[in-house]
Amino acid sequence: MDTVVKAQALHKHFGPIHAVDGLDLAVQAGEIYGLLGPNGSGKTTLIRLLIGLLKPTSGGAEILGQTMPDKAILSQVGYMTQVSALYDDLSVKDNVAFFAEMCGLPPADSRARITEVLELVNLQDRAGSMVRTLSGGMKQRTSLACALVHRPRLLLLDEPTVGVDPQLRVTFWTYFRQLADSGVTLIVSSHVMDEAERCDRLGFIRSGKLLADGSAAALRAQAGAATLEEAFLHFAGEAG
Amino acid sequence: MKARRIFSLARRVIRQIMHDRRTVALVFLAPMLLITLGAILFRAEAVVIPLGVVNEDEGMTVPMAGKMVMGQIIVDELQSGEVFSIVTLSRDEIDARLRDGTVHGVVVFPADFTAGFYKNRQAAIDLRLEGSNPTRSLQIGARVTEAAMKALAGQMLSAQGQAAGGKTTELPVTLNASYLYAGESFDTMDYVAPAYIAFLSFFFVFLLTCVSFLRERSQGTMERLLATPASRLEIIVGYIAGLSLFAVIQVAVILLFTVWAIQIHYLGSLWLLFLIVALLAVVGVSLGILCSTFARNEFQVVQFIPLVIIPQALLGGLIWAVEEMPGYLQPFAYVMPLTYANRALRDVMLKGQGLAEIWPNLLILAAFALIIVGLGALTVRREVA
Repeated sequence: MDTVVKAQALHKHFGPIHAVDGLDLAVQAGEIYGLLGPNGSGKTTLIRLLIGLLKPTSGGAEILGQTMPDKAILSQVGYMTQVSALYDDLSVKDNVAFFAEMCGLPPADSRARITEVLELVNLQDRAGSMVRTLSGGMKQRTSLACALVHRPRLLLLDEPTVGVDPQLRVTFWTYFRQLADSGVTLIVSSHVMDEAERCDRLGFIRSGKLLADGSAAALRAQAGAATLEEAFLHFAGEAG
Repeated sequence: MKARRIFSLARRVIRQIMHDRRTVALVFLAPMLLITLGAILFRAEAVVIPLGVVNEDEGMTVPMAGKMVMGQIIVDELQSGEVFSIVTLSRDEIDARLRDGTVHGVVVFPADFTAGFYKNRQAAIDLRLEGSNPTRSLQIGARVTEAAMKALAGQMLSAQGQAAGGKTTELPVTLNASYLYAGESFDTMDYVAPAYIAFLSFFFVFLLTCVSFLRERSQGTMERLLATPASRLEIIVGYIAGLSLFAVIQVAVILLFTVWAIQIHYLGSLWLLFLIVALLAVVGVSLGILCSTFARNEFQVVQFIPLVIIPQALLGGLIWAVEEMPGYLQPFAYVMPLTYANRALRDVMLKGQGLAEIWPNLLILAAFALIIVGLGALTVRREVA
């Protein structure tokens, strides 16, 4: 299996704060890897380092075999930020079309792909609606469509289900699984433990450190815990 | 009305502002800076005006008084005041010296000036003016007339004394003004208008860009854009291209309104005026992008007005000509894009100059745009970092 994402001894310091503190990571192709940790644990910083938005203080990251930062490889990467990050004064379709163009989706392919991706997130009926008129959940779906439109091989999703109702959350995870089955690699950050069960592998993060990683079952077994929450607390306790 | 609620609200506002150190500093420092600048400019001593003199007056011998050269008497009077520095010229250098700016006006005394004075009881002075600054032209005209009247007063009295028993009848000085550029129909508004057009275009484009680009970052779309293959330079140039469309339309509206509705005089090509203001607008867009990366919210964008915009209005030649400002302020004027736009616009509108003459100013404006775009590209990821 190919390693799609690799981080080695990754450090990112903001003054005295060690947001990411010597983190090693390897994510394989077609895997859903969950970054699990409380708010402020360093998940967003790690994703930004992986995608090249931040320069590491030391260490390095590779994506799809390329040392980051590498602008060209980003045409094969989809990124969904924690906030919906859309243009409120453009329609749903215009937003998706814009990010398709920015990511280099060929114009000939663009129209059909935008329709396809809007159907996937069930927004085909709202394609012409201005984003500012959408509900929070619809904005999240539009945001996901923007991240998916150029058929990325790697998807980095930063808390994609924050503020999303339980039904839509299930829908999202169904998409994620379909994508992984088609060979797309996903890194999904979350602080919700029950979502983590849906990941192939998990990394527990706290204070910028990777406390443990493995499948949900393996982590529970390793910690001798009944739930992932207990397992997290176990590893966090070990780390001190 | 509950005093307690009002007090809580006031306390919250004070605390919030106190946490924004930049705002607090600006609220106190910016007015002091601008008042100081205004005081320097308003109190600056009047600049000595370089005035050319072509004195061909051969004079004449007057009974009882001997040889009189009235032209020289007037030149001596002009020289004795603090208004002019006198440059002696020959007739064939007049326009060249006015054009290169070494003199702003030239007084010409023909060979028969004294003879004419005694014959007609009138001193007809030829004054050739550069003309692009109507206020300065008026000032030169008034001062030359004043000096001539003063110089001739004694002579007139003695001449009239001989003819009419010492009674003065009318002012003995007539000024025949001619202009290298512009002309008598041009007024102060014609001089101010080019800089006004430039200032307004620049100001509104700057604000529009600052707020738009800030929104791009505050909505999180900038982070998303930076996570695509688009380079920082592509993002900035794309932004400039998009906003410049509105800037260019705005420029066209301002120009046409000024020229047709306000009926401002202009001599050169309207297309060239459009090109200058459009280029300035691109500089405004670039500067807006650069400044917006240093603002966290719309409030901080507004703070750039006293720091970036008003000093350009004061020092860029809108009201005071740069070359007439105190020497230590002039270097600041020369690092401001508005200075070059004003210069180019005045050269076209008031002097009727073309691309061949104004290209250095356009080149400097283009260089400003490039440098600011480059700096903007370097700072654009600050928000993400």
